[in-house]
Amino acid sequence: MCPAINSSYQVTIAPGAYVCEERLQLVGEISIGSKTIIHPGVSIIAEAGPIFIGDGNLIEEQCVIANRFPPGVDKDQMNQVVMIIGNNNVFEVGSQCEALKVGDNNILECKAQVGRSVTLTSGCVIGAKCSLTTDEVLPENTVVFGSDHQRRTMPDRPAFQTHQLDFLARILPTSHYVLKHGTKSHTQPAT
Amino acid sequence: MLMELPEVSYKKADFIETTSGNKVCRRSIMCGSQNIVLQGKTIVMADCIVRGDLAAVKIGKNCVIGEKCVIRPPFKKFAKGVAFFPMQIGDHVFIEDECVINAASIGSYVHVGKNSVIGRRCIIMDCSYILPNSVIPPETVIPSYTIYGGSPAAFVEDFPETAKELMIDVTQSFYQNFKPLQ
Repeated sequence: MCPAINSSYQVTIAPGAYVCEERLQLVGEISIGSKTIIHPGVSIIAEAGPIFIGDGNLIEEQCVIANRFPPGVDKDQMNQVVMIIGNNNVFEVGSQCEALKVGDNNILECKAQVGRSVTLTSGCVIGAKCSLTTDEVLPENTVVFGSDHQRRTMPDRPAFQTHQLDFLARILPTSHYVLKHGTKSHTQPAT
Repeated sequence: MLMELPEVSYKKADFIETTSGNKVCRRSIMCGSQNIVLQGKTIVMADCIVRGDLAAVKIGKNCVIGEKCVIRPPFKKFAKGVAFFPMQIGDHVFIEDECVINAASIGSYVHVGKNSVIGRRCIIMDCSYILPNSVIPPETVIPSYTIYGGSPAAFVEDFPETAKELMIDVTQSFYQNFKPLQ
């Protein structure tokens, strides 16, 4: 029931965060803020630098949060680039986030994909199966939706998920193996 | 539809076969398995995630759940909090690979195409077909004998009245052709 042991990782989990161990894949240096809930089946890959995940985030199954090198670069030459994810974001089932800066209160719906050069500010909603690979800073409260990726601006940010986070914080530890808070690291044995 | 489904083999060690004929892949993640009911002769393929820990999940007989699907009971916000509602899937339902199912209930004889997202608290009535790669917005009701597709999902055309026999045929022959490698 432990995370994939074929990669080295170092994860620091704040108190109040619950990280389900099942099918969890961790690579690299990761920091998880308090009250963040991570469901089973998540991959957090901090290959090109550390990932700092803020408080109150909800990361659902099959999500991939990756800080990867851009394709085709020499990995030894690149410096470490930090990926920062703010507070109260929701990453729904199957979403993939490679954006280096994610603000607060964003929602990535099911199977949404956000590329590396996008910056999500606050209150953005990326609709289900929408894929954002442009080089841009998404203004606050933008909604991207539909198969043709239409955009609108909401008058207000999306609601907080505090009720759901509280509920999950109560029931997840009872039915899953959950990583305890503190620092847990595993180094790949030298081959 | 195909006249004869191809034979699909699996390694016997990869699947758990229960007394009622359910075949569940060992690689699937069944959270809260005491809350998950499979009525019989249902096949759950590899890497599926069924979240029985959030609420009860009841899946009918002769269903096929493709690889990497996520079956997740929907939640409803009340004034005082949230609750996850039990989820029900009918008989002879064929869910193709990589779907995300958040529906409140799926009727019988339904075919869900590959890679679709079924939003929160949707109700999919009997004998409907969801096209591959479609996104069903939350709280949609999909009527019987229809084909829905696209993102957001819209009515495409009617499903023929033979849907029920078609789905029974597909699911039963899939089960019969799903044989362990000897």
